[in-house]
Order: sequence, then structure tokens, then C-alpha cells
Amino acid sequence: MNKFFPLLIAALTTALLTGCGATTSIDEYRPNNNIMEINSDESVVILGRRDAGHYDTDREFISCIGSKMQGADISVMPEQQFIDSIYPWFEPRTAPKGLKRLTYLMKDPDIKSQVDRQGVRYLVWLDGSTQTLEQGGSISCAIGPGAGGCFGFAQWEKSSIYEAIVWDLNDFSEKGRLRVDSSGTSYLIGAVAPIPLLTPVKKDACSSLGKQLKKFFSVDN
Amino acid sequence: MQLSKLSIITGLFALLFITGCSSSAQVQVDRNFPTVVSKPKAVSASIIFNDEFKDYVATPSKKTTIDIGAAQTLMLGNAFAGLFSNIEFVQSKDQVSLENALVITPSVQEVQVSTPSDTYLNVYEVWIKYSLDIENSQGDQIDSWFMPAYGKTPDSFMLSKTNAIEEAAVIALRDAGAKLLLDFYRIPSIYNWMLREQKLGGEQ
Repeated sequence: MNKFFPLLIAALTTALLTGCGATTSIDEYRPNNNIMEINSDESVVILGRRDAGHYDTDREFISCIGSKMQGADISVMPEQQFIDSIYPWFEPRTAPKGLKRLTYLMKDPDIKSQVDRQGVRYLVWLDGSTQTLEQGGSISCAIGPGAGGCFGFAQWEKSSIYEAIVWDLNDFSEKGRLRVDSSGTSYLIGAVAPIPLLTPVKKDACSSLGKQLKKFFSVDN
Repeated sequence: MQLSKLSIITGLFALLFITGCSSSAQVQVDRNFPTVVSKPKAVSASIIFNDEFKDYVATPSKKTTIDIGAAQTLMLGNAFAGLFSNIEFVQSKDQVSLENALVITPSVQEVQVSTPSDTYLNVYEVWIKYSLDIENSQGDQIDSWFMPAYGKTPDSFMLSKTNAIEEAAVIALRDAGAKLLLDFYRIPSIYNWMLREQKLGGEQ
């Protein structure tokens, strides 16, 4: 028994190390390498695309990106605050899909004054979702008088794919695109107590995308 | 004694499982809605929000009810205020006091809900089908406009069915306001009425 104990520990440690790592890649496109300037009285809004039929860019991910970008230098306005302030022009049905429509929208003096009043300089559109791709194994739990537990093994693979597009409201131009692709497998081991080995796929995607987006901006105080 | 304690704990777990897996939802939509950014046209309108509309509770399935009466009155009230420069909200036709105005009576035709267990998609969806009965001040019908609205919200591990349906209903109500503002003056019969009443100014 004592001989197998270190092996068991080593196997569990290996599973922990390999099971909890997500593979993340970022593709970046920018027309030039100039740093995007943002004054201290200007802000960035991160908006989710919600016009696709089968998924919604979730608010949790948008808040996460916002918190990664926010710092002493960059002011990030909450998405809902911006959408409410110019209702109904950024609802799923009405939000501009391209720069042509944005330019047309901003010709309306009421909409433009609302945007200007809030000091919004950049819009960052996020589109994507986190999905469970493959699931395998099985785990069953039982409880009875005096005893209970879970036995088995389950695994599932998650993939987070998000694209960010940055629009400048000063000249209605696209300043850059970023695409993050993160995937990883999580495990649940039932050895009386369920032992989850979760891979933070979405968190990793958020962290990578947020940090990269932050590098786009500089501050002119 | 110990056995009875265990029975109670087992019973509690069983109860938790049964209630946790229950698929019924009583949803009360109780939110504030934003005012609209829109320049109203120089048109007068009397909006009839009757009691049936103001207290409307949808029953899209046997186990689901959605109380949207107060929320839809607030939302559509905001949207109508963005369409007409001279507006009154009344409860019935005999209270209409504006002359040479549109008299609009909104009503709900149907509310539908779909959940991830119905569609195998990770979204909760709500459809609200409105009908706007539009007349002139003399009581002649101008149009009966069908206005569908749609809202969806992603399913997530911590989101209860009730909260998810409420969120989707709120998005559907906001969509109704957006559609009304965007499309109302594009209704051909409304456009013709405005031409006849010379309310278009230089816009035709």
C-alpha cells in the first residue's frame, strides 16, 4: 500500500498540472502600430454583440475585460450605462454593424450630443462565446442512511473564441482587431468526494484579451 | 434517535432535489427602463393603456407566468413619448380629448418562451407579439399593426430559470420599444394619414 501512495500522489499532481492549463492564442491586426491616444477625460465602452441566433456575448465576459483594461490611465464606462443613455440605438436590433451605419447614426445631433457628453472616445465590440465541445466519462453520486459518495470520472472540453473590434468615434475608423482562442479540458474525479480539476478557459481568454487590449492605448494627460 | 435524524436529513435532501429540479417559474418583471433619445414629430396621439394591458400576466405554458403589465406600460409609454410631440395616456376611448390625433390601443396577442431544455441551445428566449389598433379621432380605423418583439439571455450555471426568463423578457420589452420607434412612421397607412393631415412638413 505504501508503495502505491507516492505513485497516486504523483498521478494526481500530474493530472492537476495538465488538467488545469488552457491553451490560449491571440491574433492581432492593426492598420499601423501607432498607439491609440486617449485623454484622461475620455473613456472606452466595451459592448457585446447580441444579434446572433444561437448565442449571446455574455455580460460576465464583458465585465471581466472591462476590469482587466481599467486602470489609472483608462476609464472604462459600464456597457449598460452607455446603452441606456442612447436607447434605443445600441439594442441588438439597432446597434450599428459597420462604420457606415455608425457614421450615419452619429449625424443625429441628439445621439452625438449624448455620446459627447459622456466623453466616449472608443467603442470596443466583443463577439463570441464559450462553449462545451466534447464530454466524456460518467460519474454517479449516491446517498443513503449513514453513507454516501461519488464514483467515476468525467471530462469535458471547453473553448472560448472571442473577437474584439476597436472603433474610434473621433474619425469613425477601425483601429484594430483582436481574436482570442482558448481551449482546455476539465476533469471531475469521483473518489468518494468529487474532486474537480477545472481549467479556467474563459478566465484565461479574458485575461489575455484584456491585457492585449490595454496595450492598444496610451494616455495623454 | 440517530436514525430519525438521518431520515430528516435524507428527507431534506430529497425535498431539495425535487424543488431544485422544478420547472415552474413565476416571473415578475420589475425594472426601470431608459427614456428614449429621439426627436418626436409634430403629431398628436392618444394612447389607450386599458386595465387589461396594464395588468397583463402572460401564461406561455402551464408552469410559467410572466407579469409584464407594469413594465410594458412603462416601456411603451417611453417609446410613444419619443414619437409624438403632443401625447396623452388614457384608460379608455371615452377619455380621449385630443383632436386631429391618432388613437392607439396596444394589446398583447401572445407571449412565447423557450428554454434550453426545449431547444438544446444555451439561451432562454421570450417573444412578445403586440398588436396596435390605430384609429383617427373620429374613430375610423387606420391600421392594425402587428409588432413582434424578441429577447434572449444566455443560460449560465448560476442563473435560475426565473431570473433568466425575466432578463429575456426585459430585453424583449426593450426590443418592442426599439421596433416601435424605428418602424412606426414607416407603416404605409400612417405615412398616408400624415400626408393627408399635412403633418410631414418637408420630410416627404
